[in-house]
Amino acid sequence: MRWSAAYVIKRIKRIGLLLAVLAIAVWTLAPVAWLGISSITPYNELISDRQTHWLPQNPTLANYRVMFDVSRQTGERFVYALRNSMIIASSVTAVCLVAGTFAAYALARLPVRGKHVAVLGLMSIRMLPTIALVIPFFVITSYIDYAFLNMGWEFHLFDTKLNLVILYTTFILGFVIWIMRGFFLTIPAELEEAARIDGCTRVQALFRVLLPLSAPGLVATGILAFLSAWDEFLLALIFTRSTNAATLPLFIAELGSQYITAYDQISAAGMMAAIPPVLLALLFQRFIVRGLTAGSVKG
Amino acid sequence: MVSHARELDDHKLARRLLAPSVILIILVVIAPLVFAFVLSLHEAEPMVGGIEMKPVGFSNYAHFLTKSGLFWPSVRVTIYFTIVSLLIELVLGIAMALVLDADFPGRSFMRAIILIPWALPTVVNARMWEWIFSGSKYGALNGLMKVLRIFPSSHDAVWLGFDVPLGGVPVVGPFLRWLGVTSALNMIIVADTWKVTPLVVLLVLAGLQTIPDSLYEAATVDGAGFFRKLRLITLPLLKPVILVILVLRTMELFRVFDIIYIIMQYSIRVVGILTYEIGMKFLHFGQGAALSFLIALFILGLAVFYVRLFYTDGER
Repeated sequence: MRWSAAYVIKRIKRIGLLLAVLAIAVWTLAPVAWLGISSITPYNELISDRQTHWLPQNPTLANYRVMFDVSRQTGERFVYALRNSMIIASSVTAVCLVAGTFAAYALARLPVRGKHVAVLGLMSIRMLPTIALVIPFFVITSYIDYAFLNMGWEFHLFDTKLNLVILYTTFILGFVIWIMRGFFLTIPAELEEAARIDGCTRVQALFRVLLPLSAPGLVATGILAFLSAWDEFLLALIFTRSTNAATLPLFIAELGSQYITAYDQISAAGMMAAIPPVLLALLFQRFIVRGLTAGSVKG
Repeated sequence: MVSHARELDDHKLARRLLAPSVILIILVVIAPLVFAFVLSLHEAEPMVGGIEMKPVGFSNYAHFLTKSGLFWPSVRVTIYFTIVSLLIELVLGIAMALVLDADFPGRSFMRAIILIPWALPTVVNARMWEWIFSGSKYGALNGLMKVLRIFPSSHDAVWLGFDVPLGGVPVVGPFLRWLGVTSALNMIIVADTWKVTPLVVLLVLAGLQTIPDSLYEAATVDGAGFFRKLRLITLPLLKPVILVILVLRTMELFRVFDIIYIIMQYSIRVVGILTYEIGMKFLHFGQGAALSFLIALFILGLAVFYVRLFYTDGER
């Protein structure tokens, strides 16, 4: 009798757990599924004569095709935005990863005066709201561009990819240094010491011992850096205007208008903007989770 | 053991390795911040080829703290957004992590898909929820309400509207109105929570791995139930992780901009939106800079608090 009561309770608990798992799966996937469904639904089914049906009667890839049709304005802007986002996010990642890894090594292994202050400073930079830097950036950029204009140069910063790359390093470099330092600290210094006893210089030990060992850390940090550049909106909103530098988030934010609810197109563009980060996250899941936990939990 | 010559060498090497980052940080962070501080002490407006600056001391700061009717309401609504989001994220995140920590078929699949909302770009997330919350008959949430028979088929709610929830209830209604709570704000909290909770889940899951099973086994032997174990073992041992989440998220939430701007433009004036509006829409650079310093100061205060709590030994 007692045994069977315990058994029943155990079954109930099990079913409860599975229901909870199901609920999490639905909560996590349903909104994205709706985005995907919307992206393959024709405009009239989605908006003007939408009934209660949830699946498209006539699924179509037209919304995706529009994005790659460069003869139309939407397509042209999308393709450029995609390209700009790719270029900007990879450049920022490369710059920050190289500069940041070296700095992180120095802060993790070498005697640096005021190291404590530097580490605290990095921490504070990470916490700065972007908006606090936007106004000085804007004024400085207009000054520089005006100076160039007066000198008769063609060159300007406003609405260029270069400017965004520079601005994005403000919030990504500190973060890269912070995470990489954390990774380096988890690797015992004895390994490099051993290499140096075998005749390596410090720099050789860094390249031959420490960096190969921190490959997962580098991958995780690189992906996190790429994702935060890919995601950035505020600076792109202020500092870009045309296909020359406008990024994907800006394109998606501005798609449609007060008068046209272009949610079919927004969904298609949104799905495409989501593909690179979601793929990266799923492929490098373990690295990323390590990077996130190392970056926030460890000092 | 380390010779004096090597010690010097290391100093030189450290300087070289740090140089690129230090130069970059000075150019793109420190110099602009100093300049922003200078701006905040001026009445600065745009003119051809630059700006016109008139020194005004700290009156920009005083303006917001005492005179402007915009600042404190904006602080209140930001605090509401921050605290409510944080509570939901924490409770939901810990609950989800406890579920995903249990043993069930498809656990690694679940742990993978949980990353999808986190990886979704903020702008895509904003527009996706804006679409789900659409007020007309094509809005997915309205559709869902009808399928679940919560709404009659003729009714469509305006989710992103400005009604004060519980507005008719005495005391609570006026209080929420005073805070600046609207239906739209609550919906944005849902949208933001959906995206961010996975991060909380991941951090909590990582924290759960550090709790030895033997503790739970001992508690089971002693006859402790689920909630007792949660209260006496799990939550106390998760305290460091929870504190990290609390502080990191407070800072992110306090400076929220993207999702609110994309869905509601200037109609929900959290401090991020207010700063953007004053500085970049009306181009009052001085006032905008002062305002962003007030936000930065608040966040920096939190940073100090954070460092005090977690960065106890410097050479770890």
